[in-house]
Amino acid sequence: MEKMIRVTVERFDPAIDTSTHFQTYEVPLVPRMTVMDALDYIYENLDPSLAYHSHTSCHRRICARCNVRANGRAGLSCHTEVTEDTTISPLPKHKIVRDLVVQGV
Amino acid sequence: MVGSGGAGLRAAIESCDLGVSTMLISNGMAERSGATIMAGADITLDGAGAASIGLPGNEQDSEEKFSHDILVQGYYLNNQKLVEAYVRDAPARTKEMIDWGMKYSWDGERAIGTSGPELSRVLTAQVKRRQITIKSDFYVTDILTDGKSAVGVVGIDINSGAIGVIRSKAVVIATGGWQRAYSFTSAPGGLTGMMHAAAYRAGVDLVNMEMVTFCPNVIMWPPALRGDIFPYILSGMFGDLLDKHGRPFLRDEYDPLVYRIAITTEWNKLIFSMAATRVVLRGDGSPKGGTYYSIKNVPLNIIEEAQKTLPGWKWLRTDFSDFVEWLKAGNAVEVGPAVHYMEGGIAVNEYAETTVRGLYAAGECSGGLFGANRVASAITQILVQGAIAGKSAAARSKKTTMGEVRAGQLRGIESRLTRPFSQRNGPSAIELKKKIRTIADSNLWVIRSGAGLKRAVGELESVLSSDIPRISIGTQTKAYNKEWIDTIEVESMAQVLLASARSALFRRESRGVHNRSDFPETDNHRWLREILVKQVNGKMSLSTRPITVTKLKPPLVRFGFDDGIIRAVKELGE
Repeated sequence: MEKMIRVTVERFDPAIDTSTHFQTYEVPLVPRMTVMDALDYIYENLDPSLAYHSHTSCHRRICARCNVRANGRAGLSCHTEVTEDTTISPLPKHKIVRDLVVQGV
Repeated sequence: MVGSGGAGLRAAIESCDLGVSTMLISNGMAERSGATIMAGADITLDGAGAASIGLPGNEQDSEEKFSHDILVQGYYLNNQKLVEAYVRDAPARTKEMIDWGMKYSWDGERAIGTSGPELSRVLTAQVKRRQITIKSDFYVTDILTDGKSAVGVVGIDINSGAIGVIRSKAVVIATGGWQRAYSFTSAPGGLTGMMHAAAYRAGVDLVNMEMVTFCPNVIMWPPALRGDIFPYILSGMFGDLLDKHGRPFLRDEYDPLVYRIAITTEWNKLIFSMAATRVVLRGDGSPKGGTYYSIKNVPLNIIEEAQKTLPGWKWLRTDFSDFVEWLKAGNAVEVGPAVHYMEGGIAVNEYAETTVRGLYAAGECSGGLFGANRVASAITQILVQGAIAGKSAAARSKKTTMGEVRAGQLRGIESRLTRPFSQRNGPSAIELKKKIRTIADSNLWVIRSGAGLKRAVGELESVLSSDIPRISIGTQTKAYNKEWIDTIEVESMAQVLLASARSALFRRESRGVHNRSDFPETDNHRWLREILVKQVNGKMSLSTRPITVTKLKPPLVRFGFDDGIIRAVKELGE
């Protein structure tokens, strides 16, 4: 039986919401998986409405467009490994496009 | 200009400097997306050309010698007019990058070394100094025509979800390859073949679509490093590629000359990829379907010496020192060939013109320059072809009036783009992307077979006719809607993969990076021909044309893969 972790995402749709809210997903823990892997898993298997930057992500720590906060610490989601329950939020002080996608990043 | 990698940036600079109002459109952001930022990278030019701009190049070298080598490396499929433009303009494009402040080092012979982020930084700074409008996160999906000429583009503003129309007198496509139609690639997101498919729908010829270069020795695991080519960079200096028994198969099983070429030249991409794929196919691969890269037999002081070229084991923006320590401890990393570069693409002539007026293509999205195998630099390609395309587009813009958008075409595009929002119970773009990537990984890989290609053609045709028109999108909000992005991407990926699979099936021989298990020989008697793909009356239609020869006549011979390498090496005088 694979180990599951709880990944909580801070979500916001400016067209509908007045404030952000948190949504929690159960994600199977894969050795050395990244925040991006966790978000991909949620998007592909649990909730296709989730928004996070990936359409031009380089996965090589060069483009820096996948920047988010994981448990409060800003970092690249393609490079930040996930080992336990994690809360993922958008970068602060930026206008939110939707969920984890912010303007100007 | 559609695309903000090196070709698009360089095209925009040229067009603006010729006094033409210029917009640069990116599906991401300049310096933050596209393949250029990921490049190693070097710029290649002939030795005498290098000497002419003050670099320590060998004056005995010449444009003719460099052209000859590019043709031998390309198995003579290259369009020689494109090769002539490449070698002719390489010194001027290199000089200008140096004058613009690019940091570089002389790598010896025919190359200067720099890096993808540095190239992008220099070109983006030049664009920002000029009156060039930059439109970011705008995913162009279609080309508008008045029936004969390009009159603009349609796309989606990814952040707002608004569909936008941009009218123009000329359109330059500079969007790289379609690597993301595969699941294992060294390329970034966004390289989806979107504009290949758009150009195809606009009536443009695609050429050499069967030609796909793989980069060998790419990391398969762990996930944070998956797709990184760092072991490939190391393998140019030392180390062994091992099968599951720990045997260095390249050294053990190949002619010493082939082995030497594989480890000392950039033919390594083709040779390593072929050798590793043969090992996996015979059941001697690693659990993840690759082989192993090891530096266990390399003396420690030799490894440390290599740090001079990679200080701190930093490669681009990643610190690999832990990884190197892990290798030094005797571990081997699972690596495999990853989809890396597309020789095929939108057919262009030496003025970057496509078969549709007012529509130009530059860089990797174009096809023909490198024939069946690229060894010379793709960075030189984007600089040279970008400038040519910018010049051609500017010339046209000065002598033509703004064309009329056909309302019917625009309505059709808007309907195609938005229809999935109102469809229910259809397949999801997520599952279809996985499906077509599996088809590509299984059948359009390093070694192809007639049976596999036939299967791929059938499956892709079925996806295009039965699945894609029924896609439904559940997420109704349009702002950064990933389901919508996947929907538009999967349609173009399937279209481009079909063009690639049909071309690969059509070419009943092996040539360069295109290797058929059922036709293992390269046959210059029958196949010195380019394969063209075009939409005719709504159907995909294939034809061939003889290669474009200006000076150098190819030898009329037949040979197998290993013999071909030896033959080529002798012809190159290595």
